[in-house]
Amino acid sequence: MAALDDKMKTQLSGKTFQAVTFALGSEEYGVDIAQVQEINRMVTITNVPRAPQFMEGVINLRGRLIPIIDLRTRFGMDRSERTKDTRIVVTEIGSRSVGMVVDSVSEVLRIPVEQIEDAPDLVAGVDTEYIRGVGKMGDRLIIMLDLGRVISTGEKTELQKLDPAA
Amino acid sequence: MSTNDDFFDRTEFVQYFRDETEEILQRIDSDLLRLERFVGTGTIDAEIVNALFRGLHTVKGSAGMLDFKDVAEVAHKLENLFDLLRKDRMPLSETCINLLFEGRDILTDLVHAAVDNGEVPAGVPQFTARLDAFASVYESTAVAIDGKHPEPSADQLEALAPVDTAQVEAFEAEIARVLAAANAPAAGLGPAAGTVNAPAPTVAAAVTAAVQPGVAATAPVGAATAKNQTIRVDIERLDMLLNLVGELVINRTRISDIANTLARSINDQHATIDVSALAKDLAESSALLARTTNDIQESIMKVRMVPIGTVFDRFPRMVRDLAKTRQKEVTLELNGGDTDLDKTIVDEVGEPIMHLVRNCVDHGIEEPDVREANGKPRAGILQLNAYHEGNQVIVEIVDDGGGIPLDKVRARAIKQGLITETDRPSDREIMEFIFAPGFSTAEVVTDVSGRGVGMEIVKKNITRLNGVFEVDSVLGKGTKFTIKLPLTLAIIRALLVRVANELYSIPLDAVLESQRIPAGSVRTVHGREVITLRGQVVPLIRVGEFFGLGNPRHPDKVMIVIVGLQGRQVGLVVDSFQGEQEIVIKPLSDVIGAIAGISGATILGNGSISLILDVHSLVTTAHSARRSTRAQLTGVA
Repeated sequence: MAALDDKMKTQLSGKTFQAVTFALGSEEYGVDIAQVQEINRMVTITNVPRAPQFMEGVINLRGRLIPIIDLRTRFGMDRSERTKDTRIVVTEIGSRSVGMVVDSVSEVLRIPVEQIEDAPDLVAGVDTEYIRGVGKMGDRLIIMLDLGRVISTGEKTELQKLDPAA
Repeated sequence: MSTNDDFFDRTEFVQYFRDETEEILQRIDSDLLRLERFVGTGTIDAEIVNALFRGLHTVKGSAGMLDFKDVAEVAHKLENLFDLLRKDRMPLSETCINLLFEGRDILTDLVHAAVDNGEVPAGVPQFTARLDAFASVYESTAVAIDGKHPEPSADQLEALAPVDTAQVEAFEAEIARVLAAANAPAAGLGPAAGTVNAPAPTVAAAVTAAVQPGVAATAPVGAATAKNQTIRVDIERLDMLLNLVGELVINRTRISDIANTLARSINDQHATIDVSALAKDLAESSALLARTTNDIQESIMKVRMVPIGTVFDRFPRMVRDLAKTRQKEVTLELNGGDTDLDKTIVDEVGEPIMHLVRNCVDHGIEEPDVREANGKPRAGILQLNAYHEGNQVIVEIVDDGGGIPLDKVRARAIKQGLITETDRPSDREIMEFIFAPGFSTAEVVTDVSGRGVGMEIVKKNITRLNGVFEVDSVLGKGTKFTIKLPLTLAIIRALLVRVANELYSIPLDAVLESQRIPAGSVRTVHGREVITLRGQVVPLIRVGEFFGLGNPRHPDKVMIVIVGLQGRQVGLVVDSFQGEQEIVIKPLSDVIGAIAGISGATILGNGSISLILDVHSLVTTAHSARRSTRAQLTGVA
């Protein structure tokens, strides 16, 4: 689903959406906290050759191999310099774990559902396919991401072959 | 299904029912095959019939408990037939056996439908009607033999059961007549008893015609069912594990003692510690730990192992049905069913083997007349052999059929544009064509194989299991398919190599040798780099280039890993060798998808990640890339 539809909003009204917020450049993004497993500092990412463009590679997370996406590349932005603030947000969707490289992680916000609006067609060049909505907290705009879409698309056929229920 | 679900949690019982019933049904299948041999001999083996009766009785009872009404009903009717058989009220005819096989298949489907909430198979009411019709003849005439009714009239029989076809009516009347003749004065009983069985084949043929459609529609053996996630384990293996864990616990205490001693001495400045004694202790504990964890590792692997016989068990039935449909005679020989394999491999290898077995019956083994004309016995021999060799499991599928016709393969390859008329590929290369996508030499697409999908998929599935697939064939004599699988899926020995500053692992069983060759020895043939090794020309693939990792050429020495691929040798050029190691294979996430040349990754002792090379796909991809773009291999990343 691309946005929180009205029905959902009425179901959730009075409720808040808990999101982990992070920054890519000057924009702030948020993901459902239920899908965030952990947040790590940058570690060495082992490159996987011939992998899709946005795949940075894999990391060793306590014995597990976690694939890493560079979100900026995923959204068609230029890659940024890795600084001491760069973090890897490890998310878990269903049985799949994916880590995302972000410029910095801010905080966990509770966004009242009423303050999340449908995304306008163009949000800083990010395809609205990935966006569930835009949350307004004061004068901050938090772009709420649909993680499921962020990690699939192009590879959909590959994933569906492996897991038709996905 | 029952609505008492809220009363207690049925799922565990349903699971148990499924496992138990699957086993019973499998045994019923084997027993039916053994029973089949008695058809037409006038006798039966009471042991087998009793076992079958008991099996169905159990299924009926268990199904009844869980309120699976349709399963229980069919089981009950089949049980009835066996009762008639064991009480000698019914001769064992071919019709009877076919009905029983059909019943067993329907029962399997019904069980799956009940357990997995799947679709109820069609045609069950018709089948039970036929069963009833068939059985009722014997039930009533059995009563006649008992002397209660002197002679069953045709009208009586007609009134008993609904008959669908005229043939079934005729059959009933015939049997009634024959049995009535048997009721004649005792003097006539001898020869008359003989005639009870004699008409069976001719009359059975009539009924077979009616029953046939059902026979052909049996469920495909090993159809995609929910994979059984449970496993049977030898208690001995579990006990061994328990012991090892016990040792681990003891060792843990030792090590924490050492830690405590050290901690105490650090806190208490007056205490002195005997460092050398502690060091010795620690070293011993560490060595013990290594041994124990190794043993645990091995034990767990063994626990996961399952005899390949569980896969083989499905085949006697399948081969029987298939041979009948194709009108061929096939003798199936199974050897080495107790050979152990990791369960996940066993689950996956069933399908490829099934494909190959079908292929042998379909294409390999000739019709009985053809065989006779060629001086072969009418029945073809299909052998399945499984055995351990080194750290591999070998599965052979051998037939004494006509072999693979290389000229037809070649012709087909030309037709599909894989080679041209003037190309002169070697016999081995021609054989490889059968693995090309969509390749098939069957003139007619049969429902079993001949769609050209088979061989390619088989090979793919086997290489996916890190296995090797080979074909040997002699025209007129037969074909042998060999599947070589690693004993364990997860741990392999690998050669570590450095390519463009990254460490890659090459599975050692693909590696033949490693060579350091002066750069000048590398020749170019048709734009391909090759070297000569002991008289053989070995093509080279620069791994760094293949992966688009850059192409540094060392000035004087070239490091090559020679790998073997189906009898051919290829040299993989790397930057340096970093020794051998045992590695644990971890799959790359599905999010990354399949990458040509990479089969997975492993985590090395220092925590860094090493990608594992998939030698087979690397060579194949490099080869086809060369075909399409002569000049360059671009890294796709």
